[in-house]
Amino acid sequence: MSRLERFTYFERVVHWTLGLSFLYLLMTGLAFSHPRLFWITVLSGGGQTARFLHPWIGMLFSVSLGSMFFIWAKDMRLESNDRQWLMAVRAYATRQKDGVPPAGKYNAGQKLFFWAMTVLGVVHLASGIPLWMPAGVLGIGPFYGGTVNTMRLLHYATTLGGGGLLIVHVYLGTVAYPGTLGAMLHGRVSRGWARLHHPRWEKEQAGD
Amino acid sequence: MPQLPGSSLAVKRISASPDPAPSIRTAGPEFAKLIDISRCIGCKGCEVACKEWNELKVEPTRNFGSFQSHQDLSADTWLLMRFTEIEVDGDLQWLIKKDACMHCEEPGCLYACPAPGAIVQYENGIVDFNPDKCIGCQLCISGCPFDVPRFSAETHKVYKCNMCVDRVEVGLEPACVKTCPTNAITWGTKDDMVALAEQKVDRLKDRGFEHATLYDPSGVGGTHMMYVVPHGDRLVDYDLPEDPTAAPGALAALAGLKQLGMGVMGLGLLGTALHYLKYGPEVADEEASDPASPEPGSGPDAENT
Repeated sequence: MSRLERFTYFERVVHWTLGLSFLYLLMTGLAFSHPRLFWITVLSGGGQTARFLHPWIGMLFSVSLGSMFFIWAKDMRLESNDRQWLMAVRAYATRQKDGVPPAGKYNAGQKLFFWAMTVLGVVHLASGIPLWMPAGVLGIGPFYGGTVNTMRLLHYATTLGGGGLLIVHVYLGTVAYPGTLGAMLHGRVSRGWARLHHPRWEKEQAGD
Repeated sequence: MPQLPGSSLAVKRISASPDPAPSIRTAGPEFAKLIDISRCIGCKGCEVACKEWNELKVEPTRNFGSFQSHQDLSADTWLLMRFTEIEVDGDLQWLIKKDACMHCEEPGCLYACPAPGAIVQYENGIVDFNPDKCIGCQLCISGCPFDVPRFSAETHKVYKCNMCVDRVEVGLEPACVKTCPTNAITWGTKDDMVALAEQKVDRLKDRGFEHATLYDPSGVGGTHMMYVVPHGDRLVDYDLPEDPTAAPGALAALAGLKQLGMGVMGLGLLGTALHYLKYGPEVADEEASDPASPEPGSGPDAENT
């Protein structure tokens, strides 16, 4: 049984840097936002340490997000086929594959996930900087109450969007579609997996 | 001054606490500090008393062309007499502000704080920072409508006037009140201080300060440090905000968004779990290529046409 390489070593490193930093940011962010979850900061060395690390891990997150954007933006361009896929998303979710147009390397859902995460990530970074350094940075600021409150709202709204999407992403990437996690761990998928989830991509690979 | 009752440190509000305040004591009197700016002679004895009682580091300063001792509040300077020179009706006027925590009834700092217990408000009206619980996020600074709390780059925590809570607790007045040689600063229950302020305002009006007023802004529920302001029409020149608030709108929006966020993420977890229980894993069939699903083969062709 032949195996196909789906993600390169570099792609996998970038993905997991992004993923793990996202998880850290989400956990500590929820701790800062919800008093009943404040105990999570203990896992990060206490409240003050968590507050110190959160923005720096945010920098790591931003750099990985930027790298991911340049690696994948080309593959993530939406095509006419994607429109039909999105129309059939209900059939896709309920496993009635007959009505779903075959996907290429990425299906329309994955593409939209990528673009949504990129936009949310940029807004998240931009709104996070005034919260990180309210006294100002690089000649911008200081940031006063009204600005900071708006940034808190934006920072939380993007968390809400990103956190919701992350749940679906992790679910589909692990237990829902066996074999998918392996693609991001060791980089390879089976022929059958490729045929089932990304038939057009599988055909392209077969042609090589 | 008359003997004051001791003031228990019964807690009224705690930052970032979802639970009700722990106090079951019946509310004692609220205290307030009243600054009569018209009686201030600018001696800055209060600044010294503040440093001395609170054992705060002395910060070297220099003459920068003002009667003021330092340019700004800091983590080590919790009280600063600000002197502003302006012209009113052709006369030089020296506007003085005793810049320190106002101890708001609706404390914007406390509402903005994400660290449980880092900011507390006692029944007596004092808003106190607990550096032990402070995580150094500085959101209290943004939450304060008077720009009072200051971040220490040394300890990465935020500090401000605590109204000498350790004196008030045992029936003493704050250090600045005790030291003031002209009684420009008085201390007592909030009701007494408001009554006294009204007398002072009336006297100032008799003396020709027709805009004299009591500064006890209602946007923050009133404050426990109040001013008698001779030029009540020049609040901005005193550096006193006209209508300070604890930004209730923004905080309510944030609280609503947080509820929504937890709801969405909770439903997301529930939804994926239920989806898995209904549909299970979608396992790829490695053996059959053609008979199982003819679509993958015909799909691309159909699309190209």
